[in-house]
Amino acid sequence: MSQALLDIRGLETAYGAVQVLFGVDMEVHAGEIVAIIGPNGAGKSTVIKSVIGLAPARAGTITFNGRDITREAPHHIPALGIGYVPQGRIVFARMTVEDNLEMGAFLIKDNAKRRQAVEAVFAQFPRLHERRSQLAGSLSGGEQQMLAIGRALMLDPKLVILDEPSLGLSPKYVDLIFEQLVGLKKQGRTLLMVEQNAARALELSDRAYALELGRNRFTGKGAELLANPDVRRMYLGGYGVRTGSAG
Amino acid sequence: MEEILDPIILGQLLIGGLLAGALYALLASGLNLVFGVMRVINIAHAEFMLVGAFGAYVLYTAFGLHPLLALFIVVPAVFGFGWFVQHALVERVVGQPMLTSLLATYGLSIVLLNIGVLIFTSDFKGVPALTGSLVFGEFVLPKPRAVAALVSIVFAVGVYLFLERTRLGKAVRAVSEHPHVATICGIDTKRIRMLTFGLAGAMAGAAGTMLSMIYSFAPESGADFIQKCFAIIVIGGMGNFAGALYGGILLGVVEAFVGGFLSTQWAEATAYLLLVLVLLIRPTGLKGAALAR
Repeated sequence: MSQALLDIRGLETAYGAVQVLFGVDMEVHAGEIVAIIGPNGAGKSTVIKSVIGLAPARAGTITFNGRDITREAPHHIPALGIGYVPQGRIVFARMTVEDNLEMGAFLIKDNAKRRQAVEAVFAQFPRLHERRSQLAGSLSGGEQQMLAIGRALMLDPKLVILDEPSLGLSPKYVDLIFEQLVGLKKQGRTLLMVEQNAARALELSDRAYALELGRNRFTGKGAELLANPDVRRMYLGGYGVRTGSAG
Repeated sequence: MEEILDPIILGQLLIGGLLAGALYALLASGLNLVFGVMRVINIAHAEFMLVGAFGAYVLYTAFGLHPLLALFIVVPAVFGFGWFVQHALVERVVGQPMLTSLLATYGLSIVLLNIGVLIFTSDFKGVPALTGSLVFGEFVLPKPRAVAALVSIVFAVGVYLFLERTRLGKAVRAVSEHPHVATICGIDTKRIRMLTFGLAGAMAGAAGTMLSMIYSFAPESGADFIQKCFAIIVIGGMGNFAGALYGGILLGVVEAFVGGFLSTQWAEATAYLLLVLVLLIRPTGLKGAALAR
């Protein structure tokens, strides 16, 4: 295998005295969609928070694009080519849709270039364009998730990291958001996502990591994991009726 | 009673209230800006105002510099002082329980107050640089108050436009809503907090420079102002910049009418009566609190 775009080795992370990750290994290769699944408390979100520096690693290394980013401050992460969509589709509710996107392009100091970047994302999300002057807090949940994704794309990142992109969305919007993730892959972007909807995540992803209590448990192609009876029993809670649709 | 309902007297009270309210608005909006961005209530905010007032006093007595010109020195100086205080002190208590930051800024206010007493004693000072009145028909505007109000409005609106329109100002608002998400947008939240505290200091410094022309003041004069500021930011909405502007002007006007109709003793209590009244009707303040994160 070629060198991974994102390489996580022996990652240990703790919140104060509470250790959450006990040596997690993970690789994400350019162009892949990689999912992290696992029950609550497995440490899924903590892995990606460690990557972006919000939950700094206690031990282990994180390499992105050949560069050690283990101790990188979170505000240096976007400039390296990593976009992040936080859990709970957090947008700046008291700012307009347009200003939210502008914040995603904060590092572009030139006003004209920043506006160009905003227009480029508007072209990709016409729905956001329609609502550009509205306060982000007045959008529907699905639209807010779209905005959070758009904001993460503002600096044209190589890798987009998503924390529970479908959480709390209506089924209609879950479909829409997953379609958009496929669209991002087609644009040549690499995706790493944590997803509680393990079945959907495995169907969509090229590879997946199943975590348990802060350690790697299963690793493999999305379809393989989906077919694995142990994974189904432990992570998919009775899923299997639809195995036929997995291929 | 007939006399007091005279439209000219009412108009005069309104004008007086608006002029005083503009200064309150400038002072309180700086306090609210800091609270909005870092959830720290700066008890020393009125001492920053007095740093501005004594700065204007020194520049006037030593060099004969008019307070309007002193603004160009005092405002950048207090901005720098605010930046430094954030870096050296307040940054350490951001994210800590509210009591910790209250104690830290309370300590700062005591230190500043006593430095003020050491240098200037507790005697009241004033800067009588501007005298006379503007007369519009039946209405009279004392020049120092009119100028102070105008400068206050220019500063407050300037900062408001900075927050609404500029890249850096929007970043300040982003940090006040979701610091973590702002961080992963590439915003250095620590620098934004230093900028915010500097800005709030600059606003307080400008308010103090203007205050020096209107009132006599001593190092101990901060207490009255900070208490009114607390009332104003709760009336306007905690953390809501524009709310503090409305709250400040509202307090100025209501105080003027209470003073005119009842007595100046009652005017002193106005802030708290208004506070209770607004909270009964709108518990989150006039413009809504910005507490949700």
